[in-house]
Amino acid sequence: MGRNETAHAPAEDVSGDTEEFDPIGTLTLIGIYFVILVLSWVYIYYIEFLGRDLIVVG
Amino acid sequence: MHIHAYEKLWLAASVLLILFLLGSVTYGAVGPGIAMVSDSEQAIDPGALDEDQRFSEPRVEQVGENEYAAYVVARQFRFQPDPIVVPEDSTVTFYVTSADVIHGFEIAGTNANTMVVPGEVSEITVETDDPAEYGLICNEYCGLAHHGMEGKVNVVSQSEFENRTNGGDGE
Amino acid sequence: MSEAIEAERTFVDKFPEEARVVRAALLGSFLALTLGAIFGIIQTLHRTGIFRGLISSTDYYTSLTAHGVFLALSFTTFFLVGLFTWAVVRSLDRPLIDIRITWTWYGLMAAGMTMTGVSILAGFVDSIDMSADVLFTFYAPLQAHPMFYAGLAVFIVGSWIAGADWFRTWLAWKREHPDERIPLQTFMVLTTMAMWYIASSAVAASVLIFLLPWSLGFIDQVNPTLTRTLFWFFGHPVVYFWLMPAYLLWYTVLPKVAGGRLFSDPLARVVFVLFLLLSTPVGIHHQYLDPGIAEGFKFISMTNTMFLLLPSLLTAFTVVASVEYGARQRGGSGLLGWLTDLPWRKPEFTGMMLAGLMFAAGGFSGMVNAGMNINYMIHNTIWVPGHFHLTVGTAVALTFMAATYWLWPQITNKPVYSRAIGLFQVVLWFIGMALMSNAMHAQGIMGVPRRTAEPEYSGFEYATMFGGFEELNIQIAIGGTLLFVSTVLFIGNLVLTMGNPKVSGLAETLPPALSGPDDAPRVLDNLGLWVGIAVTLVVLAYALPLAAIINRGGLLGPGVGTYPVWLASAFDVIANSAPPLLDAFGEVVEVIR
Repeated sequence: MGRNETAHAPAEDVSGDTEEFDPIGTLTLIGIYFVILVLSWVYIYYIEFLGRDLIVVG
Repeated sequence: MHIHAYEKLWLAASVLLILFLLGSVTYGAVGPGIAMVSDSEQAIDPGALDEDQRFSEPRVEQVGENEYAAYVVARQFRFQPDPIVVPEDSTVTFYVTSADVIHGFEIAGTNANTMVVPGEVSEITVETDDPAEYGLICNEYCGLAHHGMEGKVNVVSQSEFENRTNGGDGE
Repeated sequence: MSEAIEAERTFVDKFPEEARVVRAALLGSFLALTLGAIFGIIQTLHRTGIFRGLISSTDYYTSLTAHGVFLALSFTTFFLVGLFTWAVVRSLDRPLIDIRITWTWYGLMAAGMTMTGVSILAGFVDSIDMSADVLFTFYAPLQAHPMFYAGLAVFIVGSWIAGADWFRTWLAWKREHPDERIPLQTFMVLTTMAMWYIASSAVAASVLIFLLPWSLGFIDQVNPTLTRTLFWFFGHPVVYFWLMPAYLLWYTVLPKVAGGRLFSDPLARVVFVLFLLLSTPVGIHHQYLDPGIAEGFKFISMTNTMFLLLPSLLTAFTVVASVEYGARQRGGSGLLGWLTDLPWRKPEFTGMMLAGLMFAAGGFSGMVNAGMNINYMIHNTIWVPGHFHLTVGTAVALTFMAATYWLWPQITNKPVYSRAIGLFQVVLWFIGMALMSNAMHAQGIMGVPRRTAEPEYSGFEYATMFGGFEELNIQIAIGGTLLFVSTVLFIGNLVLTMGNPKVSGLAETLPPALSGPDDAPRVLDNLGLWVGIAVTLVVLAYALPLAAIINRGGLLGPGVGTYPVWLASAFDVIANSAPPLLDAFGEVVEVIR
């Protein structure tokens, strides 16, 4: 049967590929995203939010 | 189940990020002492606000040394009192309820923001700083003239507060 | 039949009946998109003050209700049912169990949405005493015409039958394939629908037990906090009802389009199970600033919500890795150089990639929204629409449009009229949304409210922060206009595609995953287990808050009135406000004297 993601099981075992493929580009991109997230959060929470008037304390 | 090493690394980083976010919010609650609007006040009958000692006459009054209470009613399409005048450098607790539908109470540009639900009283306490004039916005859709629903919250000097309010009554 | 001929047959060749349903669903979806877009451009020009001559500010709320319901409910759900029908039938490689049941649920959904839609649009016509200016969230005690609520109930029941249709088809397949793993696309459909049954139960209960009888006059009043809470019980998971079809496309179609393969089938299953478990017990994060709900319940909701970030963060990795695999297969190399070895000319590829990129930004504003006390800063400001136009408005909507360029030929045997226009359209969407949403976030931090016809006020000025209020308004208007143009191009391209003659050779197959279903622990396929845990989590998150709310205010509310948002009553309300306003004016005059 064809190489479709259907109910018919694929003829060959493909898990061998996973060992050879290291998504280093993905890791790099997502690492950059992580840094942006952390910096943005620190700004928005600690500087912007905690820095404004009339914080609700009770 | 095989998970690639890089994805395991990302999974760990994601969990740390989540804990960092939760930790930040917890710090906000513990350090600066931010409290959430909650069920601290009793439920109320919105059809009988006239009989409620607080809301029959919406006003700002002194309740302690440097402590003030602002009793505010939101209704289609205004706030009472308007403006809400409070003194500088003091602790002000807003008690806000609705006479009709759900409204919002947002002091624009600040962190004072709460839903106003008929049948409930929202209680938020803030500390005022220097004199300033803030816009008060209804930020929850409340009907066809919702965009016109605004007020003011004015933080004034102590002397101006006393002169203006004759010992404690609001507008 | 030989493999070569099998590979040549498109979905419509193999399953013509089902393809007809898929087309009908997608067309219903795009009709909703068209109407929603028209209201969108009207609103963006009105609210920003660029042009207020088309509708009055009171009619703005009619437009806003239509925009929300048609886009966030009709456009999204009709696309979902079309996509899921395709996915189930394709992955199980068999027809649906009974096509008459299929057309029945489609008919119910269409009828329900028509009822609700008519009740909303009647608000534009003064002479008809019917309207539903209650917005997408329809909070009591604002009240709509009964047909608004009845239509929603019929629509939701239709979606329930759709889910049953797919479950039954899967069960029939399972009887003939007793030891096989659930094919990934069907697994995604079933977990999404299981989540939907749990999620929609509360809003269906709210509508059928409280809001509809109340609007018909059978009961006098409802409890606003209770009905609000039941709405948000549904209102958060519905966003995953929108996202999970997009994820289905990112996991199973985008790798194909990129020339790659899905990095991990097991992880995709884990992600969908996590959504089933965590989507619903989080709704109270939309009520962080509600009185009448204890802080402890809000904290629990926050914790659940923050962990709900996990499946999306995992998706980011798996999807990008799948695309990277494709790029490297095509010869891409270097740390990031492989990004150029991708089919950026294909609108289906670029559209989905841009949607994913925009979702990354939307994820950040979502993190802010999930934070309990930081909610004080942005609740009910235009930051919130800024956020959801990135997520449902782009991650979902742009993915749906992009996927259509790939899917439509499979269900019609017609090639897309112009891939160049398709590519231009998806890029234009991204640019328009970047401008509009960015300005919305900035204005939100300034305190500019959402859901208002006129965000400028007479008594004060907004502080200038990331730009001035007026400049940001112009940015919103430009962005919104680009979005409208993009929508027109999409619909136009599709209409012209429908006029194309049929051709052969368009069939596309989906490649198997790099790490396939057999690498996934069997327990992942144990839907009963996951549903059980999901229900348990929901009960834990909601039993006490709901009990507390009912205890405080009563099942039917603490003496709250009824506020029909119908024209006649609007005039009454204005008339009733006049005496107090005159009193207040009189007092001011006194003081001045």
